[in-house]
Amino acid sequence: MMQRSTLPMRDTFGRLLADLGEKNKDIIVITADVGNSTRAMYFRERFPDRYFNVGISEQDMVNFAAGLSVTGYKPIVVGFAMFVMRAWEQIRNSIARMNLDVKIMVTHAGYSDSGDGSSHQSLEDIALMRVLPNMKVIIPADSADVKRSLPVVVNELRGPLYYRMGRDYTPVITEGLDYDFKLGKAYVLKDGDDLAIMGAGVVLADALKAAEELEKMGISTAVINLMSIKPIDEDLIEYYARKTGRIITIEEHSIYGGIGSAVAEVLVKKYPVPMRFIGATTFGRSARSERDLLDYYGINYKSIINAAMELVK
Amino acid sequence: MEGGRRDGIPISIEELNKLKSIAEKARRNVVKMLFYDQTIHVGSSLSSIEILTTLLFRYVREGKDPINRDWLILSKGHAAPALYAILVEKGYINEDELWKIQDISGLLQGHPEIHIPGIDMSTGSLGQGLSFGVGVAQGIKMRGGSGRVFVIMGDGEQDEGEIWEAMTHAVTRKLDNLIAFIEMNGFQLDAATSEVKPKDFLPDVWRAVGWKTLSCDGHDFISLINTIEEALKAKAPVVIFAKTRRGMGFKPIENTEKQRASPDDAKKYLTNA
Repeated sequence: MMQRSTLPMRDTFGRLLADLGEKNKDIIVITADVGNSTRAMYFRERFPDRYFNVGISEQDMVNFAAGLSVTGYKPIVVGFAMFVMRAWEQIRNSIARMNLDVKIMVTHAGYSDSGDGSSHQSLEDIALMRVLPNMKVIIPADSADVKRSLPVVVNELRGPLYYRMGRDYTPVITEGLDYDFKLGKAYVLKDGDDLAIMGAGVVLADALKAAEELEKMGISTAVINLMSIKPIDEDLIEYYARKTGRIITIEEHSIYGGIGSAVAEVLVKKYPVPMRFIGATTFGRSARSERDLLDYYGINYKSIINAAMELVK
Repeated sequence: MEGGRRDGIPISIEELNKLKSIAEKARRNVVKMLFYDQTIHVGSSLSSIEILTTLLFRYVREGKDPINRDWLILSKGHAAPALYAILVEKGYINEDELWKIQDISGLLQGHPEIHIPGIDMSTGSLGQGLSFGVGVAQGIKMRGGSGRVFVIMGDGEQDEGEIWEAMTHAVTRKLDNLIAFIEMNGFQLDAATSEVKPKDFLPDVWRAVGWKTLSCDGHDFISLINTIEEALKAKAPVVIFAKTRRGMGFKPIENTEKQRASPDDAKKYLTNA
């Protein structure tokens, strides 16, 4: 069962960010000429004085935000995941190194900019961001996760933070579930005893579908929404490694240095178990939809089922 | 001598002599640091001494309130030894720390870090200071503060694309509380700037973009002070092209692409001076 879609994450994000700007007058939104596509425009419409389009200049955007932060504002840099990476060195050397209160919130991550092809598809950003000292990395699964996490991220968390969303494809994953977002905490979307699937973002829809299919085959499968990639919930990862003895990770990102790597780092220290990594291993390509790309590259429930079969054999 | 808050006050002979003596002490201390670490960027540091002395001892207003004090951003972070030597004269850093520069047990890093007293931005990667300065200046303006932002860049640094991004941005924001220096010492890491990429057109470009463009002798206090006074009155972001000499005052490397000299050369300089 692939669930119905809901408001795209970028729309939920843009509207909620504008709402948050109502109460918190220190929030400043900065974009590099992608205010419409990222939905930062909703903030611009309500608070033109606290909205800056710096033009197509991501490096300047990052250090401009850094400078604003030392005067007591809370700058939120909003861009396409891929092109914010162009300023990775600025993020490292200015924001992370000085531990400044700048939030980097991206849309169009993963394959979500499907039509534009490999130049626009960001499959390395999680690795690049989580390697930075002081940087936190948050990946909501759907619009409900955005609603849970964005107010906390903006109003309560200080310091550098990377918040990753896609473009349009937003299957319902966590709608109606009863949990609050907490930094460093993962969430159990479905419990199980034989196998645990862990991941973050829209691909958790495939994890849930795979779990459902596996249950029919008698394989009791847990699904974990990691959401807070850094810091990561080491305790829950260890708990499910001990409970199930088998882990599959899935991510809309390179398997090198991404979410699977983060889980593996925990397990090697705490309780190593057999793992399988589902994610990208090459650059992407153009397609008419994100869904086509996920299926083309095997980042889907079928691959999870195949990996599960290998692990339980 | 107190630093800052001396806008518009004509300089006295006494103050001028004081600035000269601070700069000379800092210059000697930069050369002396060579005894302890031969990898510091002496040439670029000596090029910046008078600019830093003038700003820190005459113009930069200190304070805890981020919007009602001035900011000094050394975007050409490799000139950190000069800044440290002057911060010693300001009393922010103990002189003994200078001799531990870049040592594992020392406070002073090879490039500025904000955990060092008196440092406003961690730099070292070229091209980033001006964008940060634009952000600080914009934040000050939005909050109605009186602070000003001084950014010091090198001529070689102008190769970085982010400078273009920030240069055009500052004009868009009409930041008349932002004063940038570009030190024109004619050298970058590998060779003369003229050999690597042309720089002569820079004043024309900055002017065309909308900056008020001034120039001065970056080693002459009177020239520096007159130019900064003019900059402070401007109603636009100001860039000051300061003609400097790399390695100024230290003959073994003066006006060459060399950043370093031997401890023997340093000894000769310190004993003869």
